[in-house]
Amino acid sequence: MVKDEGFKIEVLRLAGDEVRTCIQCGTCSASCPTAHLMNPSIRRLVKLCLEGRKEEALHNETLWLCTSCLLCTVRCPRGIRPKMVVSALKELADREKIDSPGRSYDHLFIKQIADYGRISELPLIGEFLLLYPQGSIQSMKVGLELLPRGKITLEREHIRGRDEVRRIMEELGR
Amino acid sequence: MRLAYYPGCVSLSTGKEMDRSTRAVFSALRIELEELEDWNCCGATHVSNEMVATGLAARNMSQTELDIVTSCSICYSNLRAAAMKLEDVEARAKVNAVLEKEYKGAKIRHALDVILEALEENEDGIVLPLKGLKVAAYYGCLLSRPPGVYSPEYPVVLEKLIGILQADAVDFRLKTFCCGGPIFMPKEEAANEAAYRILRNAKKAGAEVIITVCPLCQFMLDTKQRSLEQRFGEQIGIPVLYVTQLVGIALGLGPDELGMEMNAISPMPMIERIYEKMAEE
Repeated sequence: MVKDEGFKIEVLRLAGDEVRTCIQCGTCSASCPTAHLMNPSIRRLVKLCLEGRKEEALHNETLWLCTSCLLCTVRCPRGIRPKMVVSALKELADREKIDSPGRSYDHLFIKQIADYGRISELPLIGEFLLLYPQGSIQSMKVGLELLPRGKITLEREHIRGRDEVRRIMEELGR
Repeated sequence: MRLAYYPGCVSLSTGKEMDRSTRAVFSALRIELEELEDWNCCGATHVSNEMVATGLAARNMSQTELDIVTSCSICYSNLRAAAMKLEDVEARAKVNAVLEKEYKGAKIRHALDVILEALEENEDGIVLPLKGLKVAAYYGCLLSRPPGVYSPEYPVVLEKLIGILQADAVDFRLKTFCCGGPIFMPKEEAANEAAYRILRNAKKAGAEVIITVCPLCQFMLDTKQRSLEQRFGEQIGIPVLYVTQLVGIALGLGPDELGMEMNAISPMPMIERIYEKMAEE
């Protein structure tokens, strides 16, 4: 029995109706470079969506371990895009403001595009570290490599077409 | 030839050498680049809504009627995916309803593809053949995905280019294994593990240099290389160059024109070996 029909329908709308045809063969999981760290696996995640098990599908770290490499999507024998299932779930997780570093990073990234049209890496990393300071040591090491090579830019990028970009994000994101 | 150039956000900071070497190589090949007007971020791997990602790419693609070239495989993949999505009449109508300039179709090319074509037509441009240089061709994921241009499983285009430069491509098993770059902030350890595996594999294969076609791959393999050495207790010490930087050397461009001072692992000892070999002959 499908637990949350509305959730299932929204995932199918975002990721493609063909997700219904999944045969649970596991090719996606077998192809995934971070599969060994995932629980549930990508194969299982698809099943959770089709069963309408919203809580389990949204509250996991699998979503944030996806590197978007697209290998699952290249190989799926049913022509499903498992990566797009992950993307659909990431979007639903963002709507529900689920607490996860991965969700926050994507959220800040998208907000920068909406506000400025381009990404400025320094403010992006800075804003993320304010929320999750445990990444500071890694970021300092990276900063020490980048700074002397002139690859850290202080000024913030912004484009003229910000209104158009905001309209794209609001109207097409519905 | 004249092309529209989409630099991508990374060109303005951590990928400055990608941008500099792309412009230098295209100029040497006499291909004119016209930067896309007021371009925006493609969304990279962080915009999850397919229609929004398509719209962001469409805004960029609607700025020109020229073919669009980029050196960033993430931008390239996103623009290509959007162009495919926009073949769908309904999706195109929805997107065009919010764009200021109408999207009428676009041809997207990776800088690698344009460079290879130019060198195949005229190999005389190679003034400094990279004879005997052992190169690991690292493709990463998004140059060849979604499928349609290069094999998404076993691309060989970089080996072909390496051959034209008269260098040797090493047997590099992990050439399409993901570097973990897109999750390096929220999932540092997972990304580190992936990047280290690739570096170790390139080292075992006997590579003197690794080439990349994506600024995030470059970041993971080059900028993070020293911290990965510390983390995993193994010396790697392999320079990592953008494909445009390697091509630039063979075209006789100077290290400064190619932004070589911006690579974390200095390629200068390797470049000096190439110059010395040239002088001996």
